[in-house]
Formats: sequence, structure tokens, C-alpha cells
Amino acid sequence: MKIDVKKLKEIVGEENVRDNIADLYVYSSDASVHSSKPDAIVRPSSIKEVQEILRYANKNKIPVIPRGAGSGMSGQTVPLSGGIILDMKRMDKIIEIRPEDVICKVEPGVINDELNRVLQPYGFFFPPTPSSGRICTIGGMIGTNASGVRSVKYGATRDAVIGMKVVLANGDLVTFGSNTKVDSSGYQLAKLMVGSEGTLGIVVEATLLISPLPKYRSMGVANFSALEDAGRMISETIAAGITPSMLELMDNVAITAVNNAQNLGLPDVDAIVIFECNGMLKEAVEYDMGRVKKVCKKNNGTGIRVSNDPDEMTRIYEGRKKLFPSLSKYREGLFTTALADDMAVPMSKIADTVHEIHVIAKRNNVVMSAYGHCGAGLIHTKILMDTNKKSQWEDAKHAVKEVYDYVHKVGGTTSGEHGIGFSKGPAFKQEKKDSLEMMKAIKKALDPNNILNPHKLMDSPDDWLTATPLRYQVTK
Amino acid sequence: MATKAINNSKHLKKYEKEMNMCIRCAYCFEECPVIKETQWDTDGARGKIIMSYGLLTGELEPSQYIADKLFRCTFCRDCLDKCPSNINILEIISSARADLVKAGYASDTHKHVIKNIKDTGNIYGDTEVISQEREGKIPLFIGCQYLGRPNKTKKYIKILEKLGIDPVVENEMCCGYPMEVLGFREDFEKHKEKFQKSFPYKDAITLCPTCTVFLREGHQIDAKHVLQVMLEKLPKANLDMKVTYHDPCDFSRGLKIIEEPRKILEKLGVEIVEMKNNKENSRCCGGGGGILMTDQDLSGDIARKRIKEAIETGVDILVTSCPTCEQVLKKAAQEISEDEGKSISVRNIEDIIWRGLKKSAEIS
Repeated sequence: MKIDVKKLKEIVGEENVRDNIADLYVYSSDASVHSSKPDAIVRPSSIKEVQEILRYANKNKIPVIPRGAGSGMSGQTVPLSGGIILDMKRMDKIIEIRPEDVICKVEPGVINDELNRVLQPYGFFFPPTPSSGRICTIGGMIGTNASGVRSVKYGATRDAVIGMKVVLANGDLVTFGSNTKVDSSGYQLAKLMVGSEGTLGIVVEATLLISPLPKYRSMGVANFSALEDAGRMISETIAAGITPSMLELMDNVAITAVNNAQNLGLPDVDAIVIFECNGMLKEAVEYDMGRVKKVCKKNNGTGIRVSNDPDEMTRIYEGRKKLFPSLSKYREGLFTTALADDMAVPMSKIADTVHEIHVIAKRNNVVMSAYGHCGAGLIHTKILMDTNKKSQWEDAKHAVKEVYDYVHKVGGTTSGEHGIGFSKGPAFKQEKKDSLEMMKAIKKALDPNNILNPHKLMDSPDDWLTATPLRYQVTK
Repeated sequence: MATKAINNSKHLKKYEKEMNMCIRCAYCFEECPVIKETQWDTDGARGKIIMSYGLLTGELEPSQYIADKLFRCTFCRDCLDKCPSNINILEIISSARADLVKAGYASDTHKHVIKNIKDTGNIYGDTEVISQEREGKIPLFIGCQYLGRPNKTKKYIKILEKLGIDPVVENEMCCGYPMEVLGFREDFEKHKEKFQKSFPYKDAITLCPTCTVFLREGHQIDAKHVLQVMLEKLPKANLDMKVTYHDPCDFSRGLKIIEEPRKILEKLGVEIVEMKNNKENSRCCGGGGGILMTDQDLSGDIARKRIKEAIETGVDILVTSCPTCEQVLKKAAQEISEDEGKSISVRNIEDIIWRGLKKSAEIS
């Protein structure tokens, strides 16, 4: 079906529709490995405009793919069969802040850090802390159920979303959830929308729980000569009832990458764990930090350093902060790809999983690093490879499959915070095989014409490698 | 699996690896003045890298539309600070511009400026715009922007003299930065030789922040901005003023010259009230990268945003140390004054230094 660009321009204004090949090319990719062009990009500024666009698209069976910053790592905003990219960045109003109810209401295009800047004078913040917070939108965070380094204490976006307004595929506007923290009133459809990757409706307003800003925080670091000790330290910390606000692991590949690229002189050990506690009372924070230190020592942690000095805390976190850029420069000729990037496993399986990831990487001729918010069971990896080589993509494909097979075997899940999109489709479908038909039924009930971000999640292609053209050139 | 062919994009080809290192995270969106205005992904640094990649792989054919997009960048360097992969985004954009210019997509305005430099040695195309040669000890590079503002230049030279700095002024020609940034690289290669003959020094004092960066990067001259040189020599004064200071991008992010202008102002008894975005996080004035010539509306929108930020500080004077920032911000301040009735005066730091010296009775 050819898109009626004139009609779309009537809805949102001429300046908010583009179909030039250059724009389509730019909007054909995100931070994933995938690339596939839409037919048009449309930028609504109101609920009414979203409704009109969806009515038009539904009538003409045109795919509609919502997009915020386009920073997703799994291809959620990449269209497989063309259609309309709904760029939501213009819907960026903070509608209201209600400290007395501990909630705020925002449009989906609001940027995470901008919301926190506005909340700060009220003494509050929006707890999910993705590292892309400076540019990612609340809509995107809802789409993927994003979390971040502080998920160990505050949970993920789903925990903070209590209500929303949604435009359905047929253009109807519905309200899900409530303004209350507790809600036993039937199906929790607002929660269902979180993590649905734009496949069930377009979120046009979200009601979010906000948290009081902690007054004190303290950070520490410990080195481990055995990865297993670091893994045990993490799971014992959580099992002891301590709630750190950060519990991050860096494995030896990660440490080497940071040292190679940044010359930070991190110790050449099997693992480094960075931990942070925060709260309203200094004594409580110090008490918790003391308990974490004890768990470190019990598990053979060395070089333990704790500080509440802002400069020292910056220094402690520097290696972790610079890890991502360091991976890009780990070794000449290897490039970072967002594959098998955010699995979660039960806490007790972290060390085994990290170990297995390295075995799998070696077996498949790729480099994989393991790091992440292990206090929440989340492990980040990236596959470093020569993206020009066809054989490396096949290697990566095997590695990805083996990693997910292992993750599922130990009771973990395919994605902890980045979502499924295309890249994790095959693993997701394997993991959720018992509920795929139910998911399809829900999708069919809400979007009978399958216009909302089709070919994602349970409908994603069976092979991520051939799902779309790759955004890299493969010449060898 | 799709494979892509590479065409012969001479300049972009050098950055193929670097473009592959771009993880397309969009962190460069954060403070990019262009995407902040337009909110189109195509206008951010990531969009420009993606388009450049498309030109390199042949997935995109060169077009006027693409050229217009790639020339919509102020070269404010904020994306360089924000990029987690440390990619040289501006080199890639200027390489794409160079390939597009070679393919025939240069704007008439840009062509005109480059012709001016080739014909007359300055951006104005005016043979009357020349530096007043002066014998001395330390080479001083004036730069086109100050050559076009002879009174300011005279003032700066007089300040230097009073501070015991004895500058040599040659009959200089443009450093060639416009050729490099606007994609006329072949012209620059020819110009470079002429320039280096006309200015045969290994070190120099400069007046313009952009020339300072380019003398270093384009000509390997150890250039120091005049503010760096005069900081220690300036006497104290008591101007009893309150201002806000706008960091030129080439200063705060390019050369990391952040404290020197502030210390100079403090020394002269000027209190600085910082804007919300200051120092290395300063917002662009909208005047760089060539958009002032081809996209004045966008440039003006960016400048007005900066002026509004300055007005929020509650002071009456904005001081900057770049002639382009001064020009663009002055215009924006005037427009805001007319439209909204809120006013702020935009001054160049040389003016404040001059007043400070007069007040401290160092200048008669």
C-alpha cells in the first residue's frame, strides 16, 4: 500500500512529515545491528494527531513504528516491511508533578534526564537510571521496560509506571491503570504495555511513580582474583537483605579493555565489583556499606576501598563509566555489536554464566566482555568482531545461540532491560514457547490488522541475522 | 545477508573504520544545537554519520538535500565530548562535505567566500581589508574576523603594547579554515602552501579562537590566544561590573580555555554570573560551521536561545571572546529586545579589558 504523504501532512503539518531517501535511511536503523527503511517519518505533537494517524494507518493496513531517541539495541524501531515511523520526540511535555501523590504525568517524548532535572527541586527523581538517560525518552523506556545501574534497588520502568493513556490501533484513546501505587482493579493493562515495544498501542501519556532523592550515598570497590568469589559476593549481599543502590561487576576482559583504551591502571584481576548504598541517614548508609565490605572480605575481596567523597566516588566509577567506549577500542579491527547484550540470570548463577560466556566466545572466534548490573542479575555483553567478515557474523550467530541456550538452562531470561526487537527474537521465542500463542492472541485482540510495530517479539523472524539487512557492510 | 559496495568517496573512505565504530547510541543528541532546534534525527551528529556512511557505501546517492543536511552543523564540538566511542565526528562531517563539494554540491554562498579567499586572501574579497604591518618580536595572527574589525584589532594591539608585548604583524592571509570546514579541501591544499609562506612562524599569538584552533590543527603552529598571553601581565582594576560570560565553542571545548577569560574578568573587578550551561557545557551561539552563511534562520534560533539563557542570569551584559559569537549574539539580543522587551548588551572581552586598563590608569 503506497502511503498518502499528503494525507499525513494534513494531519501533522507539512514540516512534520518526511519521505526523502536520506531521512528514510537515517531512520532505518537504531543502535542495533539491523537496518530497514520506513516509507515515511511522521512527527505528531498531540494525542489527537496520533489518533488520526492511526485511524488512517489502520484503515489502510500500514505499519506504524513508534520511536523515541532511536537508541534501542535490538531493532525495535527498525521497520521490517516499511510503513510509518512515528517519531514521538515532539510530545515532550511534563504535564504535571504531584509530590503529594508521589507521581508525575508526562508525554512520551520527555527525556529521562530532563524529567529528573525538573523533579530535582521537588526533592524527587524518576528511579530507572539507564546509561542512555541523557537522551532516551520515557516512551522508549516504557517500550523496552528499561532499567539501569540502580535497578538493584529501584527496579525497572515497569515498577514505576502506574497508569497511562494509550492510542489503540483503531485510533481509540483509552486510559489504563490509576494514580495509585496499589491497584487490584482487574487486569493491569498499564503494566502489560510496558515492555510491549509498541506492538499493542501508542503510549501518549504516562503516570509515573517518583522517589525521594536520597540525601547520602557512599561508593566502594573490591577486587577478586576468582570470578566465582565475585559472583558469590554479589548473591550473598542481596541474600543478606542489604539493598545497595548499585552492585556492578566488571570481568577481566572488561578490565583489560578499559586499561588498554584508557590506561586507568585497574588491577589485573578476574573481577572488580563496584557497590553503592544511598539513603536519608548517613548512619544507615555507612552501616549498609560496612555490611557489604564484610561480604567482600568473606569472599576474598581485596583492595577494598569505600568513600563518600564525590571526587573519589567519580574515580571509583571511572573504569565502569569508560567501559563502553573502551570496548570500541579494545583491539584494532574489532567492532562492538549489540548482540546477546542484556540477559538476566538468577543471582547465584552470575559467576557461572560469565565464565560460560567466555568459553562460548572463545569457541566461536569472537570476543565477549561481561559486566553489568549483576546485583539485579543482569549481565551485559557485547560481541566484538570484524563486522566486514561474513564468517564472523556466522560465528556471532552461533555464539548468541549458545549464550541464550545456557542462560535459559540456568533459569535466566533473554532480555533484562533492552527488550527483544529482532536480535533476540529467536531466543525469546524459545524461552517463552509456552506463552507465545497467548501473546499472539493479546496482540490480535488489540491490533487485529497487525499494524503496530509488526514482526517484533513473538512475531519476529526466526533468524535475526537475515531478519533485515545488516547496517554494517559485509564485504569479505 | 546483505552486502554493500563501496564507491569512491575519497575523503570519507579514510573514515570507514571510524564510522563502523559508531554504535549509533544517539548520545550526541544531548546538547547538539541543531537537533535541539529541529528534533529531526537527520539533523543530529548521528544522522550525519549515518548519511556519510550511506554516501560511502553507495546506499545514498549524493544530492542537494543531503548536502544541505550535512552543512547544517555549527561545528560546536559538543558531540565530540558526548560520543562514548570517541569518534572524530567533525572530521567525518567535513570529509563528507569535501566529497559533496567535489560532486558539485557546494552552495553558491560558500563558493563565493572561497573565491574571495583565493582572490584576495580574506573572506571579504576586499583588497582593502589588510593588516597594518608592524615590526616586533612575537608573531601576531589577526585573522579575517578581526581584519574586518580594524578598530577592535587596533585596540588589541594597543593593549598588547601597554602590557609589554611587542607583536609582529605581517601582511597576512586567511588561515584557510573556511576552505577546510566548508569542504574545499583541494583549494586548502593549494592555499596552505601560500599561507605558510606568508606566515612562516612556528608559534604565534592569535586574536580569534577559531584561528587559534586551526593554526594548531591545520598548520601545526603553536598558537596561543591573546587572552592566555596577557593573563599574568594584566594589572588589577575595579570595574565594578556584573556580567555573564559566553564560552566560544572553540575555546571551551576546542582549546579547553575556560578559566583564563574568567580570571581576566575577575582581575578587572568584573563579577561573573554563570549561565545554566557554561564552561565546557556552554551552548553554541549558532554562528559556526558555515550555517551563518547558508541557514540564518536556524543560526538565529540557536543564538536567541543562548541570549535567553543569558537574560535568565539577571545581568545586563554578556561578554564573549569570539568575534563571530559577538556578532551573532548581538543580533539575537537586539531581536529579543524588540520582540520581548528584555534586553542584554553583548560585548567582546577586549572592550572590557580596554576599559579595565583605562581605569587602572595604565593607558593614558
